[in-house]
Amino acid sequence: MSERTDRARAVSLPYLLLTPAVLALCLALGYPLVRQVVLSFQEFGLAQQFGTPPEWVGLDNYRELLTDAYLWKVTLRTIVFCLVNAAVTMLIGVGLALVMRTMSTWVRLLTQTGLLLAWAMPVVASLTVWQWLFDTQYGVVNYVLSALGGDFEGHGWLLRPLSFFFVATVIVVWMSVPFVAFTVYAALTQLPGELLEASEIDGAGMLQRLRYVILPSIRPVLLVVGLLQVIWDLRVFTQIYILQQAGGSARETNLLGTYIYRLGIGGGDFGTSAAVAIFMLALTVVLTAPYVRAMLRQEREA
Amino acid sequence: MRGTPVVRIKKSLTGVAVAALALTTLAACGSDDDGGSSNESGGPESADIRVWLNGTDTPQEARDWLKKTFEDENPGSTLTIEQQEWDGLVEKLTTSLSSESETPDVVEIGNTQAPTFTSAGAFSDLTGELSDFGGDDLLPGFVEGATVDGKTYAVPYYAGSKYIFYRKDLLKKSGLDVPTNLDEFVQAAITLKKDNPKPGNFSGFWFPGQDWRNGAAFVWAAGGDLAVDDGGEWTGSLASDDSVAGLEMAQELFTQASGAPKDGNEADPWTPFCAGEVGMMSTPGWVKGLIEADDTGCPDTFAKDMGVFALPGDDGSPAPVLLGGSDIAIASKSPNQALAQKAVALMLSDDYQTIMAEAGLTPAKQSLASLLGDDEYAKATIEAASDAKLTPAAPGWANVEGSRVLEDLFSAIAQGGDVQQLAEKADDQMNGQLNG
Repeated sequence: MSERTDRARAVSLPYLLLTPAVLALCLALGYPLVRQVVLSFQEFGLAQQFGTPPEWVGLDNYRELLTDAYLWKVTLRTIVFCLVNAAVTMLIGVGLALVMRTMSTWVRLLTQTGLLLAWAMPVVASLTVWQWLFDTQYGVVNYVLSALGGDFEGHGWLLRPLSFFFVATVIVVWMSVPFVAFTVYAALTQLPGELLEASEIDGAGMLQRLRYVILPSIRPVLLVVGLLQVIWDLRVFTQIYILQQAGGSARETNLLGTYIYRLGIGGGDFGTSAAVAIFMLALTVVLTAPYVRAMLRQEREA
Repeated sequence: MRGTPVVRIKKSLTGVAVAALALTTLAACGSDDDGGSSNESGGPESADIRVWLNGTDTPQEARDWLKKTFEDENPGSTLTIEQQEWDGLVEKLTTSLSSESETPDVVEIGNTQAPTFTSAGAFSDLTGELSDFGGDDLLPGFVEGATVDGKTYAVPYYAGSKYIFYRKDLLKKSGLDVPTNLDEFVQAAITLKKDNPKPGNFSGFWFPGQDWRNGAAFVWAAGGDLAVDDGGEWTGSLASDDSVAGLEMAQELFTQASGAPKDGNEADPWTPFCAGEVGMMSTPGWVKGLIEADDTGCPDTFAKDMGVFALPGDDGSPAPVLLGGSDIAIASKSPNQALAQKAVALMLSDDYQTIMAEAGLTPAKQSLASLLGDDEYAKATIEAASDAKLTPAAPGWANVEGSRVLEDLFSAIAQGGDVQQLAEKADDQMNGQLNG
């Protein structure tokens, strides 16, 4: 009899231990998600925010959105921005990590300190500085470029959308490279030295070693970091939002993140805004599916 | 499979850690208790009253007076002034006013932004308290703008339409007199720009691209409107012939007279003025104080040649500029209604309003108008307000402001875009928002 209760306890114990985590997940993730979905089926404006009961409109919000050419424009813009930024970040980050392996200790420490500072800087504070750097009238960038002989006096960096996104890319990449560099560098330190030595003896050149030995060994890390970059760059918000306050045209430079904000919190149309958010969630799933599949495959193989 | 058990343990450990963290966070959110005993209707007898003031409009002297007087009169309570930015204010109010634990008790809000919040129920009904605050003495246009279905939800804080600051020395050098109608004004601005090729970003009239609040004056002066009420349904009317004529005049100024960034906003106008980059600019009266201050301005140089006049209209009378100013309101979700009302009463007291008037802000009470004095600045203040207009009283107007339709429109006009097309596009966007 006591054996049976022991077994019952043994069976129920894992579930018991799981409960707090599941509860926390439900509270922290489940509730907002459900609320968001419900919201996207409602006509929900400012008055509803302060207590007027909302009206159920079914799929109206979605219908209105999906037939609006502007949403597709913003979506395309977001995807291109996300892919370009993730790719550039990964390239620079992995490159830095590789170079860090060959640095002398104090140069490496110096580099890492610099990276860490960029990573640790509060976003709004660093954005204020970036904004000053690129300021039309009094910016350092214009000053330096003019001093070097360019015609950059009073050049508005945020004026044209393409130039706006160039500045945004510089800032986003600057902020995300440290994470990639550190993670990949950590993975590289786990690489057995014998392996590289052996391949060198076998006559593999630098590029060959990189392609056939180094990159395949750190592939799992690259996949995870790449996935995170895609997700982060897809929902980029603060950088775009603050740059829009500084200049440029909000409508021409909205990405999905700022579009949701302008619709909801800025424009008081929370229903439609929630619908865009759900759309963005679906987009994230679609865009990251290949990554997730590759990661799962890898786990199975291991 | 070898490593699996270890991994499993690790995962559940993480789960527990996450759960513990989440619970602590929740607990922290829940323990937001001010203490203090409650009375029947108006919340606790003592509390910390949070007052949101925007930008640097309210002088420091007034802030200090308010805090000290409030705390002296309400022992045990404190008053904290939290300064907010005008830029992005609508968004910030939207999120914070609806949360009982986060909401400030008293907020300052632009008079044109107030209607959206009053009709949404974000502010407490102050109709019964109006007489305590000044009653009929309060600026009527402001009270009207904050009244929905006979109930008043906000009271005026100060008024102040923008007027023109100019450099007397530069006008003289170009042989110009103070312009007496709008055409003369535009010509003067263009001449100033031509006569002052250095620095390259010099403005005959400083007019940053996002500045639709000044731009609206040209639309109104030409007989146009931002939006019109068509039998209860609001529609954008920027593309009407009159409005377009006004927008084209603005474009002339943008492209031929202004050296300000074509996509910039109108914040901190004293910076370019004190850098010697401005011949004329249209700003609120309190900017004078910042130009004359040691740390922000240039009291020893350009400030000495500074003069002011109200933007002239077509027939020699002042142009219809935007009636600027602020309201104060009490958040309906604030648990400290009674104390918040006391704070508002102090902000409308003669003592407090006198400090505001001395800083060049038109007092919220008509009986105090004489406090402005009778110098050139007071004259410009009074003239500018004489034909001032409000933004459309549409229920969704703050949404138009929140989504930056007008900033985008004027910025595109400043860059030399086709006015008619741009105006039609802006009308389309506004039509979806104006009716709430």
